[in-house]
Amino acid sequence: MNQRIELMQGTLDLLVLQVLQWGPQHGHGIGQAIRQRSEDALQVEHGSLYPALHRLERQGWLESEWRMSEANRRARYYKLTPKGRRQLVAEQSQWKQLVRAVARTMKPVKE
Amino acid sequence: MWRMFRKRVDDADIEEELSAHLAIEVKQLMDLGMEREEAVREAQRRFGNQALTMEAAREARGFAGAARLWQDVAYAVRMLRRAPAFTVAAGLSLALGIAAASAVLSIADTVFLRPLPYKDARQLAWVGVRFKMMNGPMEFVPSPDYIAWRRDNRVFQSLAAMQANMGGTIYLNGPEPAEARVVRVSASFLDTLDVAPTLGRNFQPEEESPNGPKAAILTDSFWRDHFHAQLDVMGKVVSLDGQGVTIVGVLPPSFVFPADAKIDLLIPLAVNPAASHHDRTMSTFAVIGRMKPGVTIAQARANVRQLLDATSADLPDLFRNRPLVVKPLQEHRAGEARTLVLILIAAAACLLAIACANVANLLLARWAARGRELAVRAAIGASRGRMARQLFTEIALLVTLGGAAAMALVTVALHGFAHFAGGELPRLNETSADYRVFGLALLVCLATALVFGGLPLARAGRVDLLEALQQSGRGGSAGGGQLLRRALIAAEVALSVVLLSGAALLMETLWHMRNDHLGFLPEHLLTVEVPVRGPRADKAAREALAADVTGYLRRIPGAQAVSRTECTPISGGSGLRTFSRSDRPMPTAFNLNSDVALCRADDEYAKAAGTRVLQGRFFNQDDLAHPDTTAVINEAAAHLYFPGENPLGVKILGQQGNWRKVVGVIADSKNQGLKQAPLPEAFLNNLEASDLPDFRFLVRTLADEGTVAQELRTAIRREHPGQFVKVQSLNEEMGEMSAGPRFNMILISGFAGIALLMAIIGVYGVLAFSVAQRRREIGIRMALGAAPRGVLAQVMRESAALVAIGAAAGLATSLALSRYLVSLLYGVKPGDARTHAAVVIGLVLAASAASLGPARRASNIDPAVALREE
Repeated sequence: MNQRIELMQGTLDLLVLQVLQWGPQHGHGIGQAIRQRSEDALQVEHGSLYPALHRLERQGWLESEWRMSEANRRARYYKLTPKGRRQLVAEQSQWKQLVRAVARTMKPVKE
Repeated sequence: MWRMFRKRVDDADIEEELSAHLAIEVKQLMDLGMEREEAVREAQRRFGNQALTMEAAREARGFAGAARLWQDVAYAVRMLRRAPAFTVAAGLSLALGIAAASAVLSIADTVFLRPLPYKDARQLAWVGVRFKMMNGPMEFVPSPDYIAWRRDNRVFQSLAAMQANMGGTIYLNGPEPAEARVVRVSASFLDTLDVAPTLGRNFQPEEESPNGPKAAILTDSFWRDHFHAQLDVMGKVVSLDGQGVTIVGVLPPSFVFPADAKIDLLIPLAVNPAASHHDRTMSTFAVIGRMKPGVTIAQARANVRQLLDATSADLPDLFRNRPLVVKPLQEHRAGEARTLVLILIAAAACLLAIACANVANLLLARWAARGRELAVRAAIGASRGRMARQLFTEIALLVTLGGAAAMALVTVALHGFAHFAGGELPRLNETSADYRVFGLALLVCLATALVFGGLPLARAGRVDLLEALQQSGRGGSAGGGQLLRRALIAAEVALSVVLLSGAALLMETLWHMRNDHLGFLPEHLLTVEVPVRGPRADKAAREALAADVTGYLRRIPGAQAVSRTECTPISGGSGLRTFSRSDRPMPTAFNLNSDVALCRADDEYAKAAGTRVLQGRFFNQDDLAHPDTTAVINEAAAHLYFPGENPLGVKILGQQGNWRKVVGVIADSKNQGLKQAPLPEAFLNNLEASDLPDFRFLVRTLADEGTVAQELRTAIRREHPGQFVKVQSLNEEMGEMSAGPRFNMILISGFAGIALLMAIIGVYGVLAFSVAQRRREIGIRMALGAAPRGVLAQVMRESAALVAIGAAAGLATSLALSRYLVSLLYGVKPGDARTHAAVVIGLVLAASAASLGPARRASNIDPAVALREE
């Protein structure tokens, strides 16, 4: 039913940055948001999500802090840094270009 | 770097983060109505492998981490312990290869590269004129030239001289007579080397004159051993060879004599300022000079040549065709050993190569067997980087273990060398394990291991999990890996052949030295030396002592023959004299190429030595009544000076007006030592004219050395108290003479033996592996009717091909290289067909025996079992 679409590594970064646009969130929440917004088409492997989050933080696009979560325990909340915001804009435009180019290529050749 | 320490904290953080995730998931599920337990299970299931996630997260954080390293090391240790055969084989190969290479290279470094242990050693030069003696070239300076050069040169700060034949033995008289090794040196000797005595003073120029005051300087070890490090030894007078000598100084413990001789004492050289070239008894010296600062060797040589032209003017014949040699002292010290050290380096390199090949082979086999494991690990998420890191850790650990073992081995080896090398390798007392060299060998092994360890990893990344699991548990590595392994083994076999050939040639040399044409019977033969030195002995007293000793020896039970003689069958007599015969013109002076060795002996010599008389007779009682009228020559003299004619009756050696008639020809014995052709020798029957200070007796007796020594000492003590006596068996003396070649042989044989072992194990391993891999195929063939004998034959053929290629390559290489061994060989030519053939045949037999095991196992495969195997 739900075809699991393979996510390339670069795409996951973009999705995470996109989702965090609307405010800080913890790992579970980010994964859930991606799933919901793609209407269940994209289910993120936790094995890839957390490494991605830590990588993005190391690269300086996210920053994190410990906060109390809804489950009554501490959880790590991530949010975009200004640098991250700029990166998101750049990646969004790159993505649009990519989509357009692929669509053009895929169109049947006009006789 | 400091992140390493933050790691512990951050690890906990990640764990907490992930637990929080799970907790949130659980809460959400419970909100949807699930029971708590079910919610937990579902949350876990959805989450997947937590540990893996933690790993990945940790990695993403970039924790290089000491803990990660530790984990890898622990894992590597576990893996190595699980395969003890592999670990031991690989570790041992590494240890042996690294140790051999390090030890040999340390020696080479000391001999060739390390500067001599004197201040500004580069300014020290060796000066000599090369004379071609009958037993090889020697470089020395006649004393008149030395005196003039010392006075007139412009390039040397100081020019020192030592007696040309390094080291003689001197006897300490007194209540406990003892032997001491002594070298005579000029007063400037210590200054030239820039060494100052720690106690007392240096020699003074007056002490050089033949009639001057007698002084001696002790070496530190002799001072401690014999004088018990007493500080009041300065000024003490001791009796050396019957003469009173004053001790004037003690040398520092760091003093190293610039020759390979163990020295106890230095005494001044007698330099006679009136010496001249025409003086037949002129002495010759070994000369070392310290060049003035800024002077080069070329300049020194030029100046000395000028001086030589001047001083040789009074007797130019002496120096005709005899070149002047001025070279750095270090070069002179390295000189003779160059060949040997280079050969040792080659041998060690072979061994290192074999060790590396062995380790590479073992690694390839191991990784091939673990292909399945690697595939599975890759499938469950291990990153290639991670796996690579773990494999490399394992390799690094293995090489470290091998290296540690090698360090211990090297230390032991170098101590052993110093003890047993018997003078073949110079400056061994200065050699210690050189850690640069050690590091180099270690790096070589590490590089090899990494290359071969990395190969299967390159393949592992591409291994399909399904395919790997389907293989009969033995994992990937098809054709490519096998070919490489076989090539490595063939290379190992080839190198082993090279080493074995070298060892075989050296063994034959040793055998020839000990057994070839000895010319006498060495068993039950003793030499007895009775040194009589000093002014107290006058002619009559000496003769009386000699007669007494002869009597004592004859009376010891078991004595078959006792002869008083100047020589022994393995050492020449009292010197060389130019040969002359009464029916030919007299030879010119200093015609050093027509000499004959002289040995004065009594009538029992031939019987004592066990040497055959070929023509005529040896001396008899009648001759003793008319001393100095007869002579007996050896075969070599007969061939050289009487070719094609009968020497009996000819009168020879009459330079001083007294001709001796030849009455017999005796068989040759190795009178120049074991490795050289016999010198022409003439025996004379005029012992009273002997000017050697020591008495020597040759005793053939059934009693053993110890008994004879004891009885003799007891007898002598009664009538000649304080007289030192030395008894040694000829076999022991020959043993000392062959100590050097024996050392060479043992060393190279050791290398060769280890190489052979590793090569044979390699052959066995590669065959066993091949058989194991092909169990199913063999099983099928046998099920279809192939005979067990056919299978055995096939496996043996496989091994034969491998060994044949290796042996052929090895034979070709060793034939090409063996000519470099020429200077170490005696009695056998480097290309000796018999030796090489024997080596190849031996190797083939050994390899065949090793192949038999796997071959038989192949033929014993039960097809039903093999086919049923997964």
